[in-house]
Amino acid sequence: MHNIWLIAKREYTERIKTKAFLIATILIPTLMGGGIFGIASIAARSKTTSHIAVLASQPQPAEDLKQELENGKNSKMTVDILPASTSHAVLDKEIDDKKIDGYLVIAPPTSGEDRPTFDYRPRSSADIATSEAIETALHKVLITEYLKGRGVSASETSAMMAPVTLNILGKNGEHGNSRTSFIVAYVLFFLMYMVVLLYGMNVARSIIEEKTSRVFEVLLATIKPDELLAGKILGVGAVGLTQVGIWMIAAAALAVTAGATSGITLTVPQVVFFIVYFALGYALYSSVAAALGAMTNSEQELQQLNMFLMLPLFLCMGMLLPVVTNPNSLLSVFVSEIPFCAPLLMELRISISMPPPWQIGLSIGLILVTIYAVLWVSSRIYRVGILMYGKKPNLPEILRWMKYS
Amino acid sequence: MPIVELKKIRKVYDTKVAVEGLSLTIEPGTMFGLLGPNGSGKTSSIRMMIGMTVPDSGTVSLFGRPFERGSLHRVGYLPEERGLYKKMKVLDQLVFLGQLHGLSEGTARSRAKVWCERMQIADAMEKKTEELSKGMQQKIQFIAALLHEPELIIMDEPFSGLDPVNAELLQDTLIELRKEGKAVLFSTHRMDQVERMCDGIALVSRGKLVLSGSMREVKAEYPKNRLHVVFTGDAGFLQHPEIEEAKNYSGVAEIKLRSEAGAQAVLAEAMARGTVITRFEVKEPTLEEIFIERVRASFGDEEARGIVDA
Repeated sequence: MHNIWLIAKREYTERIKTKAFLIATILIPTLMGGGIFGIASIAARSKTTSHIAVLASQPQPAEDLKQELENGKNSKMTVDILPASTSHAVLDKEIDDKKIDGYLVIAPPTSGEDRPTFDYRPRSSADIATSEAIETALHKVLITEYLKGRGVSASETSAMMAPVTLNILGKNGEHGNSRTSFIVAYVLFFLMYMVVLLYGMNVARSIIEEKTSRVFEVLLATIKPDELLAGKILGVGAVGLTQVGIWMIAAAALAVTAGATSGITLTVPQVVFFIVYFALGYALYSSVAAALGAMTNSEQELQQLNMFLMLPLFLCMGMLLPVVTNPNSLLSVFVSEIPFCAPLLMELRISISMPPPWQIGLSIGLILVTIYAVLWVSSRIYRVGILMYGKKPNLPEILRWMKYS
Repeated sequence: MPIVELKKIRKVYDTKVAVEGLSLTIEPGTMFGLLGPNGSGKTSSIRMMIGMTVPDSGTVSLFGRPFERGSLHRVGYLPEERGLYKKMKVLDQLVFLGQLHGLSEGTARSRAKVWCERMQIADAMEKKTEELSKGMQQKIQFIAALLHEPELIIMDEPFSGLDPVNAELLQDTLIELRKEGKAVLFSTHRMDQVERMCDGIALVSRGKLVLSGSMREVKAEYPKNRLHVVFTGDAGFLQHPEIEEAKNYSGVAEIKLRSEAGAQAVLAEAMARGTVITRFEVKEPTLEEIFIERVRASFGDEEARGIVDA
């Protein structure tokens, strides 16, 4: 036990002291936070400001459309109303000269009951925002005009057009906030994904480092390979927990000072289960990584094998959507019980809607059994693998290693 | 009570036999040399001695008891492949390794400082290992193996890669440790070193023990049948029937006789021919010669050549 502690302590203190740790701890949340704020602020300001021309023979609906596009909810465009006789060639020229972003031709209906036809020629057909804004505005203008023709007042019209709020209720009738729980679930999922991948690989790397620098031969003269393995997993794991801890505290501090404007709150079970599943997932993936590290001699060889680490994580990524949309389906229950996916997917289900306790218990049990099995195999591969260097082992050799005591 | 006792240990890796029925005993207070060409099973034997690998058959005893991990705190080991944490400071590294050997942090730190002074690398204590020269790193590893004052010191090729000054420093340190009553085992393929320093030796080739015992015993087994002659003039005396083999390096002859008694006859022959002798010495064979002879007897000429190359 003392030896495991010494190994873990060295691993922890040496890693904490590195610049890489400091940079990752500060930079990753800064970048992620910056990214989220950036996307949010761009989304908030993404009202189109295009300048278009409208060719119409009659003032209506062109006037209302202009009003809607220039002062509407989602657009701040500039609209010029031109007579229908304006030459298209001249406008095409203006588009080429980038004076306008497009022009809309309103042709009156051929018979009284039909709607007018609308032809829009944009400068770039990829400018979806503008064409969608025009489409929405036209729809609104036509309905308003129709209602007006039927003698409905303007205030009544706007009341009718107001959007509907759908209240989503929790099981016991309280007002739930599904959007918040989705966001929390996603954030926790990706946090876990990243940390497990990052620190799992760190275990493999730290083993390879020891192999390439040949330190382990000195270490093995006093301690057992299992102790070395356990110490490494614990030490590197503690670094991961420290980093996530710092991020969480920073996030909490930020949320408090920002007056929790986002409305995102973490509940106690969410935090507890996150820690439990993080620890389990981390232990599981790092034992696999340790086995990979023990089998290889260099970082390059490790890169070739790290798909074994990535595959289950990719499976989890693929299952993200089905689980989020239907957290209690048979598929979701099944995949979230697979030990390699459970740390991510069961955790995800817990933060969306609490699964029955037996499912949580079963998943934790399965993970523990798998960790034990993987550790047993890894420590065997480790024991033999670290002393066999030079050539890359093939599968039969690895299987033979299992038999060595 | 012998410090190390190996009884008929055998280790096979896949199809290659690394060590075959090796037995040897090391007594306290001896300097023991483990000799052999590259790939002869020296490192494999050492690894089994300290429990890093387990022999397929045979027994290993340390300090008079069957091998147990607890005994390793009394063993200091310098592996052939040197390795240290590159990014770690020298002192921290020594303290860490000392703690792994069961020392408290304070003891490890104070002893590390004393040893660094003794090995003349006190300036390097606060530096990172990767900033140091290879020879310096080797000295640090040497210290790491000795920090916990082991009773048995095992060093795999301790002198390889060191300049003569540092090699002598290490040699003197090992001799001092032996005087303090510690058992020292080191492997090498430099016979002259062993001949100078060791009390006991074991020669291995192809995983098998070719020769072992105290230096005196080994030498006593062989007759004093070597001549070292420096001469000018007629070299015809080298054809004398008492001479089994002679190498003439233009005026310096290394001669192997058929019997110990032949020396006088060869000298008489040289005098009769009028050769001027400036030096005539009767010697015992060197360890290297003994070793080559034994390997040749067991495995044939080709293997013997391998030793000379090594």
